[in-house]
Amino acid sequence: MKREIPIALTVICGLLITWAFFSPSELSQAVNVELTAWASIFFAVAFLLGIGNLVRISLKQISARHPDWPYKALLMLMLFGYLSIGLLEIHGVIESEYGDKAYQDWIYERIFKPLQSTMFALLAFYIASAAFRAFRARSMEATLLLTAGALVMLGQVPLPIAPPEVGAFFARVQGFLMAYVNAAGQSAIIMGAALGTLATGLRIVLGLERSYLSE
Amino acid sequence: MAQATDLDRRWIFLAMGVLVVGLFASGVSSPMPVSRYVSDYYDTIEALPEGSVVMLSADFDPASAAELFPTYQATIHHLMRRGIRVVNVATWPAAPPYTRKAFDAIAPAYGREYGTDWVELGFKPGDDVAMAQIGQSIRTTYPRDDRDGTAIDQLPLMSEVGDSFEGIELLLTMSAGYPGILEWIAQAGGRYDMTMLAATTAVQTPDLFAYYPTQLAGFCGGATGATQYLQLVANSAGTATIMDQAPLDELLAVKEKNQKRMVIQMWGHLLIIALIVLGNVLYFRGRKAVA
Repeated sequence: MKREIPIALTVICGLLITWAFFSPSELSQAVNVELTAWASIFFAVAFLLGIGNLVRISLKQISARHPDWPYKALLMLMLFGYLSIGLLEIHGVIESEYGDKAYQDWIYERIFKPLQSTMFALLAFYIASAAFRAFRARSMEATLLLTAGALVMLGQVPLPIAPPEVGAFFARVQGFLMAYVNAAGQSAIIMGAALGTLATGLRIVLGLERSYLSE
Repeated sequence: MAQATDLDRRWIFLAMGVLVVGLFASGVSSPMPVSRYVSDYYDTIEALPEGSVVMLSADFDPASAAELFPTYQATIHHLMRRGIRVVNVATWPAAPPYTRKAFDAIAPAYGREYGTDWVELGFKPGDDVAMAQIGQSIRTTYPRDDRDGTAIDQLPLMSEVGDSFEGIELLLTMSAGYPGILEWIAQAGGRYDMTMLAATTAVQTPDLFAYYPTQLAGFCGGATGATQYLQLVANSAGTATIMDQAPLDELLAVKEKNQKRMVIQMWGHLLIIALIVLGNVLYFRGRKAVA
């Protein structure tokens, strides 16, 4: 039954959603709205499951004094700290003269935002290093990739250090590469992926694909 | 080959760091020619009749805000200036603090009021499922607004919006990845025949060319697209009746900052190209020596 019930549910839901997609009848649309609402609720519940799993793994590592345990402890402190502050502010237990969610906003603005921005900004350094170490013209394909990459990079930015014609030339080359070469390749990939998704979807709806059950 | 791998990567980090910090301090900036994609983004908004309703989805977080938030701010200026009303949603949980801040700073300067000229429905979990749900029934998806929990039918703007995007003329997304523009195209653009515009991170921009201009009327790609759009909005700002000059001054400052960023990006790109060339020269020299 551990296998049959999930497969039956998947098949039924898949068929109902497919039916609703092609049929404008009131019943099919009502079923569709209901199932989509359930999916949305499952997503929200998945957040809770995710938090539960994160707490379980982190506490295990903290108690085992894993080398990363101080980071896990910090993670738990931030997780429950931010959650508690949010709940206390929503229920008016703590208040600030600076507004309704002043403490939450402070953490978001002063800690979360700078940390996440910094992490993303570090990419500039790693890309520069990777460009030096990994981009080698070992084959015709790699050489084409490198050349196209360099041309797109030059066409993407203003070039005030060069005559305007040079900037315009690189912008035109970049436009051509993106609008024709890239778009043609992307379209082929999108069509291929769409057909693959359709085939996988059909296999799931027909109960042939069971990898989501870890089989 | 050995020389290439022996170079301590911290020298590369240092070169990039010095370049970025030095150029920021120098304050050199440069305007950019406007591409047809950005021009179409601007023109599509310009073509909307006054009083139209659009949906603006914030699908980003602080990691991509440097690229997307300037476009978000400029888009709000553009929409509010033209008297276009906005239903504001988010599919990324970290986006709403940005959206509220931006609307509260900009919209009142044009004499716009919450509830009548813009509504804030907030974040909805579920990725593409949430998008599909908005298309099916915006009232089931968002029974209340995110600002103070008002039932959305009590908001005057929402009385003009039906379910399944009825009454919404245009869908705009500021998209940093998944879920974002590609999911909106699948769930709303194709299914409900919505006109769509997008601002995306540079890394996502190549995905969009295959959808332009049929499914996507225009787009601003990365910091480059943001700078171009900021120029268009800032240059036409003089035609607006604005009650408070401060947000407009901020927009002009953001435009200046982005034009500086583009010069920094140019030198960054040149450094990367130089490193690729240097890496290859050392690689082929090493190979020749081995042979």
